[in-house]
Amino acid sequence: MKNVTLRMAWRNLWRHGKRTWLTVGAMIFSNTLLVFSISLQFGSYDMMINNSLQAFSGHIQLQHPRYLKQPKMRYAVPAINARAQGLREQLGMSAISARATGFALASSEERSYGLQIIGVDANHEPLVSTLPGLVKRGRYLQAEAVEEIVIGSVLARNLKVEIGDELTFIGSGFDDSFAAGVVRVVGIFESGISDLDRSMAQVNLGYFQDVFAMQGQGHSIVIRARHIEDVDPLMSSLSITTANLDNLAVRHWDELQPGLRQAIQADMTSAWFMYIVLIVLVAFSVLNTQLMSVLERTREFGTMMALGLKPARLARLIMLETGLMTGLGLIIGIGIGALLTGYLSVVGFSYPGMAEMADKFNLPDHMYPTISTLSLILGPGIVALGSLLAAIYPALRLNRLRPIEAMRAV
Amino acid sequence: MSAIHCHQLCKTFKQGDEIITGLDHVDLTIETGEFVCLSGPSGSGKTTLLNAIGGLDTPDSGEIHMGDIRIDQLERGALADMRLRHIGFVFQAYNLIPVLSAQENVEFVMQVQGVSAQERARKAREILQEVGLEGMEDRRPAQLSGGQQQRVAVARAIVSHPDLVLADEPTANLDSVASAHLMGLFASLNEHHRITFVISTHDKRVMGYARRLIGMRDGKIISDETQ
Amino acid sequence: MAVFRLNFNTLLTLSWRNLWRNYRRTGIMLGAIAIGVWAMIFMTALMRGMVDDMLNQGIRNLPGHIQIQHPDFLDDPNVVNSIAEPSGELLLVLKQSGTKRWATRIKVAAVIASERETRGINLLGIEPDAEADISGLPALISEGRFLETNQDKGIVIGAKLAERLETRLGKRVVVMSQDPDNNLSERGFRIVGIYRAKMPGLEEFNVYTARDTLQQLLHIEGRVSQIILVDEDYREIEPLYEKISQATPPGLDTRTWYQIDSYLAAMFNMMDGFVLVWVVIIFLALSFGLVNTLVMAIFERIREIGLIQALGMRPALIVYQILLESLLLLLIGLAIGNSLAVATVKPLESGLDISIVAEGMAMMGVSSMLYPNLTLYDMVLANSVVIILGILTSILPAWRAASLDPVRALNTN
Repeated sequence: MKNVTLRMAWRNLWRHGKRTWLTVGAMIFSNTLLVFSISLQFGSYDMMINNSLQAFSGHIQLQHPRYLKQPKMRYAVPAINARAQGLREQLGMSAISARATGFALASSEERSYGLQIIGVDANHEPLVSTLPGLVKRGRYLQAEAVEEIVIGSVLARNLKVEIGDELTFIGSGFDDSFAAGVVRVVGIFESGISDLDRSMAQVNLGYFQDVFAMQGQGHSIVIRARHIEDVDPLMSSLSITTANLDNLAVRHWDELQPGLRQAIQADMTSAWFMYIVLIVLVAFSVLNTQLMSVLERTREFGTMMALGLKPARLARLIMLETGLMTGLGLIIGIGIGALLTGYLSVVGFSYPGMAEMADKFNLPDHMYPTISTLSLILGPGIVALGSLLAAIYPALRLNRLRPIEAMRAV
Repeated sequence: MSAIHCHQLCKTFKQGDEIITGLDHVDLTIETGEFVCLSGPSGSGKTTLLNAIGGLDTPDSGEIHMGDIRIDQLERGALADMRLRHIGFVFQAYNLIPVLSAQENVEFVMQVQGVSAQERARKAREILQEVGLEGMEDRRPAQLSGGQQQRVAVARAIVSHPDLVLADEPTANLDSVASAHLMGLFASLNEHHRITFVISTHDKRVMGYARRLIGMRDGKIISDETQ
Repeated sequence: MAVFRLNFNTLLTLSWRNLWRNYRRTGIMLGAIAIGVWAMIFMTALMRGMVDDMLNQGIRNLPGHIQIQHPDFLDDPNVVNSIAEPSGELLLVLKQSGTKRWATRIKVAAVIASERETRGINLLGIEPDAEADISGLPALISEGRFLETNQDKGIVIGAKLAERLETRLGKRVVVMSQDPDNNLSERGFRIVGIYRAKMPGLEEFNVYTARDTLQQLLHIEGRVSQIILVDEDYREIEPLYEKISQATPPGLDTRTWYQIDSYLAAMFNMMDGFVLVWVVIIFLALSFGLVNTLVMAIFERIREIGLIQALGMRPALIVYQILLESLLLLLIGLAIGNSLAVATVKPLESGLDISIVAEGMAMMGVSSMLYPNLTLYDMVLANSVVIILGILTSILPAWRAASLDPVRALNTN
């Protein structure tokens, strides 16, 4: 430490070692907690988004502009297979798949249930959705085969059907005609997402188009981005080119699943309320310490001013002291936080009742926080900022100091 | 309570790497009702001796008896009680509890002793009157002069009729008029209440009041004269 | 302790005045305690409100506090898993049990079709009289009327479903479902009422008809899917559960809401733990400042503490004095924090609009109005944690002050 001011600031901190450590301790406590819970939040949000989007809805969908608000059969996309193929070529990615959606009443020998029936492109569907991989019994659809169906596990149980059993379904087609078919159950999937497992079935898109008189139309082209970060750039390139040309709406995942974004927002809001309370409490601690430290050094500051130092210079000294203290809290806090979080990101952790909650949000029953630069820096960074802000008042008090009076002070 | 006997008291302090002798085999007897001045340059061991007698500090070796009690062997709580009931202290400065008024400072010791409220108030008023502070009962220490503060301290030290008052350089921060006033007060209390006084000082004027003058240097008693 | 009592006034005077010697520091610390306590109580009230709402909504959707049904019904909610309407001992107990309300209902999967659209729904055959207590549905009717008798021929659907079906009040819809012999039964109904649920998701699925009408349609006269019981308070249903499950004939399954919905049960059970963790975390963040304040207050007064010791105050009394000082600080901070919390929660009790995240809240099972719930329990908890842990935290600095060497203390500058 060559700089004399820096050296002075550092030594000043240790004139009251205990007080400094207590203040730094408050920072370390908060920083550790923030690193841990922000990492946990980020980790679980990512997982929530991924698990929910990858299961079925994908990151982006192209639809008829009115389909999002009114998912009706008649708001369809014409020549959907060709368009999907065109997009694959244009974007140079294969994780794009066409779908058509209808509603039907399915009957087995014993039971009847209403279900959502999806026509999918069996070649590309596994690239945009994890459902094909979640077939627990039987197999997924094959591209050429017709009159085959894959259904959710709860639906299978309710319908009392097994692999190889036949299902009859009836619904209404695109032209309000009567749509009916007999299909064989070839696979049963289990996604853990109760809505899907309870009421979804998939058939081949070609077959769907025949039965529901779609005439080559479908309802959505589903795109799965490689990473969640790729979604926005992909969105903008799509909006510029395709959508305008084809008169299609490009739907971001948060439009497709508004609940997801909002659940995250709501959780975020309550979490940040808690973080801010912690940060404010740390700031109070710093304010207290630095104000005391200024007040008890009045005489000393008076002497320094008599020697010709300007108040601004002394204010800088106070800020520097705070900065050093904050830095100490930042480094140790991030260190401990990273160790703790890192450990838990490997072994995972759980608390009573978490399994039930996690299930509700498509999460595994053990949480694994994810450490990232952002999750390490964000909380402690704001704590540091809050601490520096809190030191401004004590530092500004120095402007009011008059050397002679100050030197007389005890 | 009766005479004080010190036998072969030794005490050393560490200051940095140096070892400083506070008391070096001191033998001393002080009889009830004596008015003793300890004199000597600073560092001669006066304060250490006073603290040892008052039970604030324990000697490294040797014995201190106050009547039948071995002061150097009492535990902290018992020492506190002994000071509370038998000894009054007057220090050089910072004698008073700053958040309490003059009257409350005097009452404080009695309160800890468990004296009833009315009696406390009466005694405190009387004693403050006796030391010449009538009308200043409600002032806080910061509103009193140095001499007045010392007189409050004296009032507090004697209000519950201790056997012994230990005063460590009580006049060090006072001007000559206030010093004379204070010493006059000590002398008259000694005379009228038969309270033993042990006062450490290096002020020649104070020594003039002493009836027994003990000189110290380097932790030893080098002279002991009764005047 | 006798000494303590005798000297309490002295100690109180000393502590109180010492507290205000450094009014800035005390003020800042009070501010910190007040904000901390406010946050503890405010946040807890919001969380309580949310969880209460979640539980109330959840229980209304189940519905009921206790359900009696066929053992296979929860797993396979089909018309074949029906039970006979209560009779004999069970009926007697139901009538005498002191349950606030009980009713039977039918619940089957069905398909509803308007002229334009077809949808899968949850078809409920209910006893309209009891529905206000069971699901609160009658209050949610936005157009038309609710069902009136067990034989009502009308149907009540959600606003969202009406929109999906492109139909409206007064129009006819066709409902198809399966009877126990796996034959499709169908029947036309006139829409007599439209409801708006607090949670939009439900509007699309739950469709209400009168019980007897549905029995006819499904050819299950005298049979129902469930018997629903509602007690006064969902938190205390054990006694009723005991009574009912003893009277239930063998072959029937009696369950409480928390056995049926493990998510609700988990929320209910976790809440107290969560409140405690939150309160303790805030306290810990405060404790650094508290110890700091005490350490500083003691540091400034070392000489004085030496003096008091020299005057004969026992070390224990010095500990008491500092603890008392800490207690006073905590109590004032708590008083401010509590008043602040009450002052901020009370105006919100008429409901906090969080509809901006309505669908997200719906995902958690919460409606878009949040009613904070300030409970005595939580306030007592927060206050006791602060006082008890606060005093415990203060013991170390206080004890260290009392064990100061008086000679050294007196000579400190």
